[in-house]
Amino acid sequence: MKKVTDHITHWELLQIEKPARYLGGEVNQAQPKQNPELKICLVFPDLYELGMSNLAIKIFYETLNADPRLQAERAFSPWVDFEKLLRHKNLPLFSLETGTPLNQFDVIFVTLPYEMTFTNVLNLLDLGNIPLTWQERAEGPLVIAGGPSASNPLPVSLFMDAVVIGDGEEVIHEICEFLIEARKSGATREETRKKLTAIESVWVPQFPGKVRRRVYKGFADSAPPLKPVIPNVQAIHNRAALEIFRGCIKGCRFCNAGYYYRPKRERSVDNLVKYSQELLNNTGEESLGLLSLSTSDYCNLDELISRLDRNKLYAEQSISIPSMRMNENTLKLLDTAPHIRKGGLTFAPEAGTQKLRDIINKNITEEDIISVVKATNNSAYRTLKLYFMMGLPFETAEDIEGIADLVLRIEDISRTLKPRKQISISLSGFVPKPFTPFQWSPQASIEEFREKRIFVRQKLQNSKAKVSWREEYLCMLEAVLSRGDERVSKLILEAFKAGCKFDGWNEHFTRSGWEKAFEICQLDPQEYLQQKPIADPLPWDFVDFQVPRAYLEKEYRAAAEIAGVTDL
Amino acid sequence: MNETHEIKARVFYSKTKQACYIAHLDTIDIICKALRRLQLPYQVTQGHHVRPKISFGSPLPLGHASRCEQFVLCLESMVDDQWLKEGLSQQLPDGMDIISVELPCKEEKKGANGDLVDYTFGFTSPETAEKAGEFLSNPETTFSLVSKGRMKEYRLGQALQAINKSSDGNLQLINARFIQGKPEVPSVSKIVTALAEFLGEQKDNLVQIERVSLTKL
Ligand code: SF4
Repeated sequence: MKKVTDHITHWELLQIEKPARYLGGEVNQAQPKQNPELKICLVFPDLYELGMSNLAIKIFYETLNADPRLQAERAFSPWVDFEKLLRHKNLPLFSLETGTPLNQFDVIFVTLPYEMTFTNVLNLLDLGNIPLTWQERAEGPLVIAGGPSASNPLPVSLFMDAVVIGDGEEVIHEICEFLIEARKSGATREETRKKLTAIESVWVPQFPGKVRRRVYKGFADSAPPLKPVIPNVQAIHNRAALEIFRGCIKGCRFCNAGYYYRPKRERSVDNLVKYSQELLNNTGEESLGLLSLSTSDYCNLDELISRLDRNKLYAEQSISIPSMRMNENTLKLLDTAPHIRKGGLTFAPEAGTQKLRDIINKNITEEDIISVVKATNNSAYRTLKLYFMMGLPFETAEDIEGIADLVLRIEDISRTLKPRKQISISLSGFVPKPFTPFQWSPQASIEEFREKRIFVRQKLQNSKAKVSWREEYLCMLEAVLSRGDERVSKLILEAFKAGCKFDGWNEHFTRSGWEKAFEICQLDPQEYLQQKPIADPLPWDFVDFQVPRAYLEKEYRAAAEIAGVTDL
Repeated sequence: MNETHEIKARVFYSKTKQACYIAHLDTIDIICKALRRLQLPYQVTQGHHVRPKISFGSPLPLGHASRCEQFVLCLESMVDDQWLKEGLSQQLPDGMDIISVELPCKEEKKGANGDLVDYTFGFTSPETAEKAGEFLSNPETTFSLVSKGRMKEYRLGQALQAINKSSDGNLQLINARFIQGKPEVPSVSKIVTALAEFLGEQKDNLVQIERVSLTKL
């Protein structure tokens, strides 16, 4: 059978930015099997460079292909130039391994890492000649989604045959096992969907019911992906990814990931050292990335780092720790390990005053930041990045002013240090996410966000700090897409029809497309952004998140109490 | 393995099939990772960002195949050249292969007078091959291309040093020798782009563009 790529000429490929994104053939790519019992395509709804850095894709690719009955391949969102070519030539989107059109797989597993990829999912299905909604799909592959953005599955309910809530490692194999059986028994599509509901944590839009978030209890003793595909186009994170623990114990009240990945499960130092050797041996990556939500909370971090540092495989090997919460201890630790890649100093105080940081339960004080900044005098650290959110629950004008004050204070101190730090701050609008204590909170309006942002910038007009911010409309949209109900599915569909895709990419975001979609669907975004009464049911209450609603409510009340609010 | 001081290995490799669409910097990254996976005793550079001591030949234009790519690697100790050739070949993506290893390798000329580069162009149609041959063999051929945002005029001039035709199965081949790296001489990459433009629709009959050898002058 001819591969789809056989229909694309050399000259056409040369018109495309980074054609190697679409051609496969990388080192460690899985070899096609003779007559596999189930053909799977793992789909990541963003560019190759991003998808090749995604941990979930690496995990599933390796474990699925280890099963002799399964063949798992990959597909990523094509960039607009390649999409144009495919559409112009009437060619379907295809997998990298065998060039097979997406509609010829038995099942498509879609990873949903962030809400802004939802229209890309529709684009991928459309390009793969797969009808967009499950009602229209009488044949062809089942489309099953999972990932943090699917924790409230309602916004994608129109498109998915099933949605997995929570950790996917075990469920994905259970689903495959089940689909093999279903094929053998000649089950109809509807029967197959019905039976999928029996698997814990699988939610089927055609047969909606209660569903429980899956927790992979065996995580601590499991092996991470040890032989990932080596990209032919440098991935966004050019490093060997080693997940050292899953979950986060910090309990920041705005953070969906903190709740989605609970509880904390750590891999042992011994195992991690062993895995790191194998991983580096199999990838040849220069840098070993220690991944988790908050790496400084790993119990034996000192020991882990010193042992990894001692067991270097090659001279230029370095360790990168992307989510390290800096304090004087971690700074000392980094200084004692010469092979740790020291990027800039990054802090996420999120709020400008201690009171608001207490409200959101962000355990970082101004003194923490300042002591670290001072301790970096005469060191190689040159840049300092601070992340803030605006529109947080119970925020006051003082808190917004506090953002600028904090930056100015740090800048003052930095003037006395060598080298002087380049400070940059990132401002983003708060998005009240489901399954967090702030799920009932309202979101500030676009105008409010804008006023706050302008205020901070004005207060910093004489400062050298670089200020960047997230487009306010995107913050609003993210809130609608994460707090949505079934009607939001229709909204996504209309936005896609209006030409929206790559919504997370500034150069492609089409606000007018979304505005048109809201209009067609007669949806008022405000409906999704307003305060939700605690007593009222929430659209996503059917998901048992393994974090009791009562606990989230208690946390919300605790936050309100700090703010002096009793009436919620 | 014998301990010696600076041992240099010259590794010749090919880029064909889909590998010819891998950009030069990505190719370097892929090769460095392959060297590490092989646990080769290579030397590293000094300084802040330590890297393998390796130098690559002139970049291959994107989309051109090649059977004469090379890099020179400094080793800490001697290794078996056959082991290096076979081991490294296994560590490369589809379409990249190690052709030969020269170990230890001789110093190469600096190429101060430019390079002689042999190319093979394969055509599925004799008419297109004929037309391309005319374009390439005429030193008066001129073409315009955008360079650094501005339209620039080029003349083939002495770029083409020799040309002959042959065939291989269903393919009509043009074997062309170009001189490169001289002032006012257009690069092969530019010549091929101009040729494709000249051929218009017929460019789809040009299915093979392969760098066959490169000699420093
Ligand atoms: S913001 Fe970071 S530290 Fe806080 S809960 Fe989320 S992952 Fe943990």
